[in-house]
Amino acid sequence: MATQIKLPEVAAGATHAVISSWLVNVGDAVTVGQQLAEIETDKAVVELLAEEAGTILQLIGKPGDEMEVGSTIAMLGAPGESLDTPAEAPAVEAPVVQDIQDAPAPVAAPIATPTEIQTPVPAQQSSSGRVMVSPIARKLAKESGVDISGIQGTGPGGRIVRRDVEAAPTTAPQAQSAETPSASKELASQEYSSTYSTVGHTSMRKAIARRLTESKSTVPHFYLNADCHVDELLLLRKKINESSNVKISVNDLVVRAVAAAFQDVPEANVVWTPDAMIHYESVDVSIAVSTDGGLLTPVLRGVEKRTLSNIAMTITDLAERSRAGKLRQDELEGGSFAITNLGMFGTSSFSAIINPPQSGILAVGEASQRPVVIDGEIAVASVMSVTLSADHRAVDGALAAKWLAAFKARIENPLTMLI
Amino acid sequence: MTERIQLDPLEPWVEIKTTKQDYQNADPKLLETMLGQLHLIRAFEEAILDIAGEGLVHGPAHSSIGQEGGAVGSIVGMRSTDAINGSHRGHHQFLAKAIAYVAPQLDVTNLVTSQVQEVLQKTAAEILGLAQGYCKGRGGSMHLQWHEAGALGTNAIVGGGVPLAAGNAWSQKRAGTTDMTTSYFGDGAVNIGSVLESMNLTAAWDVPLVFFIENNLYAVSTTVAEATKEDRLSGRGVGFGIPSWRVDGMDPLAVWHVMQEVEEHVRSGKGPAVVEAEVYRFFHQNGAFPGSAFGYRSKEEEEHWRSRDPLDKVANEMIELGLITQEQVADTRKQAVAAMELVALELLEPDLDGKPGARKIKSNLWPDSGFVDVGLRSDLSELAGAKTLEQDSFTGETTDIRFVDAIAKGMDRQMELDDRIIILGEDVHRLKGGTNGATKGLPDKYDGRVLGTPISENAFAGLGGGMAMDGRFRPVVEFMYPDFLWVAADQVFNQIGKARHMFGGKNSVPLVLRTKIAMGSGYGSQHLMDPAAIFVTAPGWRIVAASNPFDYIGLMNTALKMDDPVLMIEHVDLYGQRGEIPADDLDYQIEFGKARLVREGNDATVISYLNMVNISAEALEQTGIDADLIDLRFLDRASIDWGAIEASIKKTNSVVIVEQGVQGTSYGGWLSDEIQRRFFDYLDQPVQRVHGREASPSISKVLERASIAGLEDVVAGLKLLKEGFGRN
Repeated sequence: MATQIKLPEVAAGATHAVISSWLVNVGDAVTVGQQLAEIETDKAVVELLAEEAGTILQLIGKPGDEMEVGSTIAMLGAPGESLDTPAEAPAVEAPVVQDIQDAPAPVAAPIATPTEIQTPVPAQQSSSGRVMVSPIARKLAKESGVDISGIQGTGPGGRIVRRDVEAAPTTAPQAQSAETPSASKELASQEYSSTYSTVGHTSMRKAIARRLTESKSTVPHFYLNADCHVDELLLLRKKINESSNVKISVNDLVVRAVAAAFQDVPEANVVWTPDAMIHYESVDVSIAVSTDGGLLTPVLRGVEKRTLSNIAMTITDLAERSRAGKLRQDELEGGSFAITNLGMFGTSSFSAIINPPQSGILAVGEASQRPVVIDGEIAVASVMSVTLSADHRAVDGALAAKWLAAFKARIENPLTMLI
Repeated sequence: MTERIQLDPLEPWVEIKTTKQDYQNADPKLLETMLGQLHLIRAFEEAILDIAGEGLVHGPAHSSIGQEGGAVGSIVGMRSTDAINGSHRGHHQFLAKAIAYVAPQLDVTNLVTSQVQEVLQKTAAEILGLAQGYCKGRGGSMHLQWHEAGALGTNAIVGGGVPLAAGNAWSQKRAGTTDMTTSYFGDGAVNIGSVLESMNLTAAWDVPLVFFIENNLYAVSTTVAEATKEDRLSGRGVGFGIPSWRVDGMDPLAVWHVMQEVEEHVRSGKGPAVVEAEVYRFFHQNGAFPGSAFGYRSKEEEEHWRSRDPLDKVANEMIELGLITQEQVADTRKQAVAAMELVALELLEPDLDGKPGARKIKSNLWPDSGFVDVGLRSDLSELAGAKTLEQDSFTGETTDIRFVDAIAKGMDRQMELDDRIIILGEDVHRLKGGTNGATKGLPDKYDGRVLGTPISENAFAGLGGGMAMDGRFRPVVEFMYPDFLWVAADQVFNQIGKARHMFGGKNSVPLVLRTKIAMGSGYGSQHLMDPAAIFVTAPGWRIVAASNPFDYIGLMNTALKMDDPVLMIEHVDLYGQRGEIPADDLDYQIEFGKARLVREGNDATVISYLNMVNISAEALEQTGIDADLIDLRFLDRASIDWGAIEASIKKTNSVVIVEQGVQGTSYGGWLSDEIQRRFFDYLDQPVQRVHGREASPSISKVLERASIAGLEDVVAGLKLLKEGFGRN
């Protein structure tokens, strides 16, 4: 009896993902937990693991296919079962979503399945796996740069019709693919004679663009600044690193301070949803990691319970795996708060965009020696400027200020974090 | 004991034979002309067979060798204004008529004048399919037409040309001439309906048509005796009250004598005649082998008939009378053969890639392939400058009128203006305007122009076609029910619909065919079709349909002016409906090719015609859909308003075609195909269609209603269309 391997919902609300590569072949025996494929989501390349043992009968999706979440991408038979097992079921065809600029031919050919299965066919796809788009809708979408794949068709059988395209946001940047965007082309021809090159967007780039645009345009941000005196912190770090095998960074200490501040002001550890406010008990913090492909934000969970060395090691691991594209999807989900640190680049201070659905992000600048006034005297001190971006729907100004004060207190009195 | 009364046919049936005396009395110039024609035709046919043997005749070349006597004997005495047509085996009749036209008398010492040479070459060129042929190469061997010479066009459908010849003869008489038409056909055709229907019709109406049967004893390989009991085929005429003659077709003078008697009868207005000439084709149906090679007749039989060769018959009689010498006869043949060698030189050239001596057609003589569809229809120059009106913009005084009365009233006005208009159909002359009143008042007012026909659609449709091709009259033919198109299919589609194109693109066919859709009348499976889709398949036909009296009058006026056959579709449901027409002007046309936008909207395009226009409007009211409603008015491929359809579809992106009839013969099929190919990128959903069910409507009221599309079907269709909008 074969089972279907379906494309998992790798991120909340994700409708599609791309099969980056298959790591197994038809006929391979697989064991539970064996890596089957790499799936490229909005945010990362994640591994798809086998949930049960068996033999791979078919690989329906092909590398590069963007497929709908929930669609069958492979068939797994009982150990030893082969494709020759008599088929009783009608052919199942893989729903493949294509960018409208791609070749019009359906990617997936009909594939007979060996056993009776019921594949829920997504609404806007036919049994042939095509996105059903009326000719005029296709033409309009192309002309106006609307990404057909992001539209839920409301015509018969889920066909995307003219009115669906008209209702969709136009000139969405993610609609542009590897082809030359017409707008740039015009600019180039009209104003610039210099040559240029274009690079097609990756899923991750599209996701960053979409999510941050969405955040900045729908989340009411407000910003609080604080200058933190960190001489004591730097001294403590130095001492720790002299005696520890694990190298502790300033950022690790900032993460620890953030967790401590949330313990001090637990009412700030919230996330806004349309129906209710979610209060978190543990402190789960996303760490912004810059990769070649773009920004990733793996989540460090239960920071308040972690030792500094554990924080340091975990962050190092997450960062390394982020850059290698080896994060699991669950490591990218959740968290109520994020930290982004550009201090290592010499940035003194900056404001960051909240990573939805989180309610805050702390932008950390460089710790540098600055003139400060202490007890009426000008002195030199190491100062680190931080900017808290907060979601006003979840956190009011006073609460944010209270939390920032707690953070400042913790960072300027680092020993309290070690207790 | 019963009393027995001997009954005799109305008209005599005789056989005519010549005697030596007849040849002595014959005009030597007549005999010389006959001998010259016989030799020209024989040499022509032999040359064609040679060329065909080299594979240079595309398609069949039906040889008349051996049969020349009937054609020459009958045509030699005709007037140039007399007309002939013929069958698939018609080279000899065509040549006889064409040669007689350019050279009424032939001089065997100077047989081939330049005009005769031209006739031979143009005829040969036509048979080879070359641009210089009489029909520009379109007609070939089986469709030879030269109107000017009175050669109406030979015909590849057995018996198919006979009703057309009847129409030509009717026109000759109606025009006040004593000219006549002769239709040649073979023994195979005497058993086919169109010939027998035409015998009946022309006899009933005293039409000056000669039915000339070339009885060559074989329909391909089937003998006459196998195919019919009365194998003296002229016996057919007697049953219809037509005087009939039987004659030896191998004796041209005997045929000439028969025709003298025939002409006296026919030209005097007494009606048609039947002539049966017994002839013999020396070769098989097609090609240069004798029939004996195919086993259906003996060499002895062929030898016997060859000894009766009409060329020898005339020559020997003339030699016997001292009118000509053997050498002069040989020289006559030599001249004819040389003429055909010249024709071959003009049309053929050595094929250097072929075997030694091989020839091929000169490549510059072929028609341009771009000519393929040229002249399929009139260029419509006849409509230039026409006054057109539209009901929506008409501001003059109007009269309220029933639809069917508007038909009669409009026709009355046009018949008053144009003597050429002739109405023919079943019962059109009685019942106070035919079965529906569409010809009310016309028979009394226009004597002899409203003709009640026998129930023989093939004959009277073809007779109308013959009238139209002649051009002196403009027939308006009525089919009481559309389904009768199948009965008359040969005349409607093979003849009327194809004539202009087939004969080279110049032969106008100004005929209007009226018929009424009767869905809902309970007439059952064989009376209730919508003919539009079938006529759409015949590109020579134009199709119009009016949904209101104003449009009807204008469309009929347009149709009557057009030089193409036009189908006017009516509907019984509309006949009783009322509408406004101009009070003082019944001479306007509806602008050619213009649809009527009945109502305007943004979300959908509803395309309909005839009675379904009003029903579609009602369905739009019910559903509240904001739609364009297009009343096509012009339905055929070449006349339909693509511009209006395009503009609407580009606006609405959704289209439904609404019609009443059943699926199989539905009109929307071809139109939706065209729409999706022309406007694919503008469609937001499949082209939707409303039509009836699969089976032809039954008599039972409930079943009839279920089988045809009505208001609720249109509403359902519109709802389906609306689902296609999405975001509902």
